[in-house]
Amino acid sequence: MNQWEVFVMDMAELAEGKDIEISIRTLNPGVQKYTYKHVRAQVSSSLDKFPDKLQVRMGRGQLSAAKFSIKVIEEIRRLPPQYS
Amino acid sequence: MSKISAPRSNREFIEACVKAGDAVRIKQEVDWENEAGAIVRRACELGAAAPFMEKIKDYPGFSYFGAPLSTYRRMAISLGMDPASTLPEIGKEYLARTNGEPIAPVTIDRKDAPCKENILLGADVDLCKLPVPLVHDGDGGRYVGTWHAVVTKHPVRGDVNWGMYRQMMFDGRTMSGAVFPFSDLGKQLSEYYLPRGLSCPFATAIGLSPLAAMAACAPSPIPEPELVGMLSGEPARLVKCETNDLEVPADAEIIIEGEICPDYKVEEGPFGEYTGYRTSPRDFRVTFRVNCITYRNNATMTISNMGVPQDEGQLLRSFSLGLELEKLLRSQGIPVTGVYMHPRSTHHMMIVGVKPAYTGIAQQIAQLAFGSKLGPWFHMVMVVDDQTDIYNWDEVYHAFCTRCHPENGIHIYRNTTGTPLYPFATPHERKYSIGSKVLFDCLWPVDWDKTNDVPTLVSFKNVYPKDIQERVLANWTTYGYPEVK
Ligand SMILES: Cc1cc2nc3c(=O)[nH]c(=O)nc-3n(C[C@H](O)[C@H](O)[C@H](O)COP(=O)(O)O)c2cc1C
Ligand SMILES: [Mn+2]
Repeated sequence: MNQWEVFVMDMAELAEGKDIEISIRTLNPGVQKYTYKHVRAQVSSSLDKFPDKLQVRMGRGQLSAAKFSIKVIEEIRRLPPQYS
Repeated sequence: MSKISAPRSNREFIEACVKAGDAVRIKQEVDWENEAGAIVRRACELGAAAPFMEKIKDYPGFSYFGAPLSTYRRMAISLGMDPASTLPEIGKEYLARTNGEPIAPVTIDRKDAPCKENILLGADVDLCKLPVPLVHDGDGGRYVGTWHAVVTKHPVRGDVNWGMYRQMMFDGRTMSGAVFPFSDLGKQLSEYYLPRGLSCPFATAIGLSPLAAMAACAPSPIPEPELVGMLSGEPARLVKCETNDLEVPADAEIIIEGEICPDYKVEEGPFGEYTGYRTSPRDFRVTFRVNCITYRNNATMTISNMGVPQDEGQLLRSFSLGLELEKLLRSQGIPVTGVYMHPRSTHHMMIVGVKPAYTGIAQQIAQLAFGSKLGPWFHMVMVVDDQTDIYNWDEVYHAFCTRCHPENGIHIYRNTTGTPLYPFATPHERKYSIGSKVLFDCLWPVDWDKTNDVPTLVSFKNVYPKDIQERVLANWTTYGYPEVK
């Protein structure tokens, strides 16, 4: 089980029942903690629906009480090839 | 000018601070996640000694130096002055040094440059190898750059810029940051690189000498490498980067080289800011791709923890913004007695003392101040006369509350440049850096009759004959009062 966190300005950004594209950061312990990935994923407010956990912060860092489960479908590389 | 003996590196500075009792060595292990940040924050709020944290969880061999310049004592030490120097004395010294001839930097051989002791290139490049702290809980990420300089060069004009623009670690090879459109780097990007779709080489230098850091956050028109030379009385020592043509301070603790992407943006923020709030929300901002990391053995990462007063963001920026405005006003022949920003205003209010020589002098001052390169960073100018001590808030506040006419003395300027960080600004204003400004003119109008219209200030110093004042002062303790220091 992995733990992730997402920042949103509006809870509507976490639409359920379809694929969404979001930047999430890992909360797993270790030196990578708080680094981001841009992913395609599905989220659900029912906590046992998907394998990983997702917690939510609002745009200025306030921790939301809402909790989600998340399935990361794939990492999306948006970086233009000249920088790789 | 007498020989200046200012600390030449972050290491010499830490030594000098420890010796003066202005830094503490923390030997026990400190966590990079929140704990180090919380120590720095508390030290700022207490005005305490700077924490030198020698052991960091997960990062053997690295250390942190927090709150490097959040007190006037440490600012005095950084300039090679007596730590007990007063603020006006420190200000005078800054003006004297920065009014002289620019001192050009020198380039040294890379084998003599401490910052090249370790070099990470290619697949080894990973920001997670550096002890990047989570400065405040709830920040958008771990911040690599909180007390540093982002070095860039204008490709045509060739002028070099060192600016302190916050940088968040997005992933092991990517940082994102808030580079305001009116900053020197912001202008370089919008004027040259972005329209051409070209990536802009950069180098972030962390763990600078305190005067190099001071230059990187000073709003001076003098290019920063020369400004450091003037502040320290000797040429800055630079060394060529590994992967681009830029030059960086050779004795910096950590160097991160890379390119600013014109066509790629990742999210940045939120972050605790100098206003004492997290105001700018998470957004897509300027994105830095990292190609190389170099660092000294036992590298020390510097941390500024911005929040409520007082930290170096407020202390140092208030200091340099005020003094740069003083220079500007003097260059226009305005008879100012001085300019002061109280750090607690989070550099939002300029207090200007002036001889009220002619009508409209306060408006002339405000228009110059707001219209200058410094203008976006503050929204209030308060002008008091040359009899008012600008450093004494009690006197300034009294002048404001008694002399500023609510209709004639308050002038509002609309649709100016603001910053996205103003807590009072509307979300729309923040998004587009729209500002508005106010002048508080606390001068008696020039067309009031001095004898019959201007009220008399009723104070010990102003209403009693000299001989009575002297007698009362001489007898003060014999009256039964304790001595006044
Ligand atoms: C700790 C600290 C953090 C800062 N962060 C930023 C920032 O993220 N973006 C920015 O535009 N200015 C920031 N500033 C202000 C700039 O450093 C300051 O405006 C400096 O003069 C920039 O130089 P420039 O005039 O060469 O643009 C910061 C200042 C300090 C002290
Ligand atoms: Mn500059």
